Amino acid sequence: MKNTINLFKKHYIYFVLLIFWVVSMAISPFFRTTSTFSSIFIGAVPIVLIGFAQNIVVIGQGFDLSVGSVASLATCIASVLMGYNQILAILVILAVCALIGFINGVGVTKFKINPFIMTLGMMFIVNGVSLILRPSPGGFIPESLKNILLFRARGFAVGPLLIIVIAGLLGNYLLKKRSLGRMIYAVGSDPVSARMSGVNVDRIKIYIFILSSIVSGIAGIFIASRISSGNATAGAGYLFDSFIVVFMGGTLVTGGVGDFSGTIAASLIIASLVSIIQFLDISSWYQYIVKGVILVIVSGIQIYFYNKRRKLNE
Amino acid sequence: MNKGKLQQFLRSNLQITIILIGLLVVIIAGAIITPRFFSVNHFVNILYLNSILGVLAISQTLVIISGGIDMSVGATYWLVIMLGAQFMKGESLWGPVFICLLIGAAIGFINGFCIAKLKIPYVVMTLAMMVIITGVLYVTTGGGGGGRSAEPLTQFSIQRVLSFGTFRGMPARVIIWIALAMLFAIILNRTALGWKMRALGSNMNASVLSGIKTDRIQVLTYTLSGVLAVVAGLLYLGQARTPYPTFQSGVGVGGSITLDTIAAVVLGGTFFYGGNGGMGRTFLGVVFLSVLYSVLNMVGLQEEWRVIFNGLFILLVVGSYSRMKSKV
Repeated sequence: MKNTINLFKKHYIYFVLLIFWVVSMAISPFFRTTSTFSSIFIGAVPIVLIGFAQNIVVIGQGFDLSVGSVASLATCIASVLMGYNQILAILVILAVCALIGFINGVGVTKFKINPFIMTLGMMFIVNGVSLILRPSPGGFIPESLKNILLFRARGFAVGPLLIIVIAGLLGNYLLKKRSLGRMIYAVGSDPVSARMSGVNVDRIKIYIFILSSIVSGIAGIFIASRISSGNATAGAGYLFDSFIVVFMGGTLVTGGVGDFSGTIAASLIIASLVSIIQFLDISSWYQYIVKGVILVIVSGIQIYFYNKRRKLNE
Repeated sequence: MNKGKLQQFLRSNLQITIILIGLLVVIIAGAIITPRFFSVNHFVNILYLNSILGVLAISQTLVIISGGIDMSVGATYWLVIMLGAQFMKGESLWGPVFICLLIGAAIGFINGFCIAKLKIPYVVMTLAMMVIITGVLYVTTGGGGGGRSAEPLTQFSIQRVLSFGTFRGMPARVIIWIALAMLFAIILNRTALGWKMRALGSNMNASVLSGIKTDRIQVLTYTLSGVLAVVAGLLYLGQARTPYPTFQSGVGVGGSITLDTIAAVVLGGTFFYGGNGGMGRTFLGVVFLSVLYSVLNMVGLQEEWRVIFNGLFILLVVGSYSRMKSKV
């Protein structure tokens, strides 16, 4: 019995997702179609990826405000270069994103710039560069890339579902099984004792930011193929989504605690919410209100329980 | 000046020195580009255009000095502009102004309450507030074009006083900005409230232990920030008459002016000193940004270059400051 309760506590977010889907299916026939779930999975892919990018930074005790703008930059580079050579374009995107993450990491660790200010400044710069590359949305994304990333079988979006599953497995493997992942937790929960036990804290933090930017860049490639163009503001909204899913998924804002599976479930909830709002034909502006309120409530509850547990431990 | 004194001077005034050198560089660049750069009218014009940023930066300074950041000032500012226009409809003035002030205070109060009592991190809370306000703004006003500013407000907002000779006069908006900055500088430096705010910013735990009611101060700070955002909003409403919000796709409404206020405060240096910054520094930061934007404008560089320079300057100043601080 106790095990069941513990299991529920640990993975409550999946039960929330399940209840959410079952109730929606019971209420509306719209939710019983495969095309609805296709659109949910397609919508969830960028949220999952950027959520992961934010998640590792938050676990390592920081914020990354540049995730959304890096994704936008990736769509712009893709739309400019994809016409010449797809492989080259993807390599350039990954290299640029790695460079951005590296600069973020060096600024935070070697120059001791507050992560909030560092990534804010980076967000400014990246936004500007994207606008120069693509002042208005447009450009070319080849069909072949779209066919791979948005692969459909019998009308169901298999590609996006696979991307989510693979991202989940890889992310969990990295965080839980690799030593890098363990070090990220160590750095996030207590940098001083991590340093004392021989972890190169600065290097791990630089890795965290590089990884975060690269994953955001990959999310940008997916966004570009979904909207089949480059858009300097396409990724901006995902910054906010990334905070929601990270906190909803159980990652603590104080760092050191959290995993990726919760983030995925939370991303699916958010994507479902968005498609419900679209289906009900409510003005899409209500999305903003709902999301903002959810974020406040979720982080409020989380911090309430965190403080309660800490008091118990003391 | 011997070496020890120079070091001490640098240690306490490093940030100011950096920003003054930066300002000098930008002014020289401007003077090279156009000879008319040095006219008083031009400078007053620059101040006029950025007085709203100045007022918003005051509210951001208050929040940052007490150890937080308010990402929702820009959104509050736009909400008030849009709702104010709808309430005024070109006629009534004081009723709508009062309602707007209440709205701003309420937004700030909710921010402060959630941050102080529920312990939600300020970045998360104010970001959420910005997104909520974006939703509320578009749901209630349908995206602009409705309503009009009351005539007296418009008159006041573009009013200039003390004109003589070739001097075209000092805009009332600039006077309000400077008056507010001085008022809050006095509050910060001369009153118990200001002292408590700064104590909060420099060391939260110590302030709690020394008996300051930190919750109350935080709530008050964010409420003040909301009210100041309303003042800035009303000033802009007067100028714009029938406003249309600039929506940065995805980010939320008022994102870019919020980032500008943070940039001004960071460039001024309040950010590094925690409880030790001030209105004067922020004023300098706003002036620097204003002159920079005007120079960029003269060269013909658009919005995208503006944001790049904004980011570059923030990182350069913060980076060089942090580096030099560890050396001095």
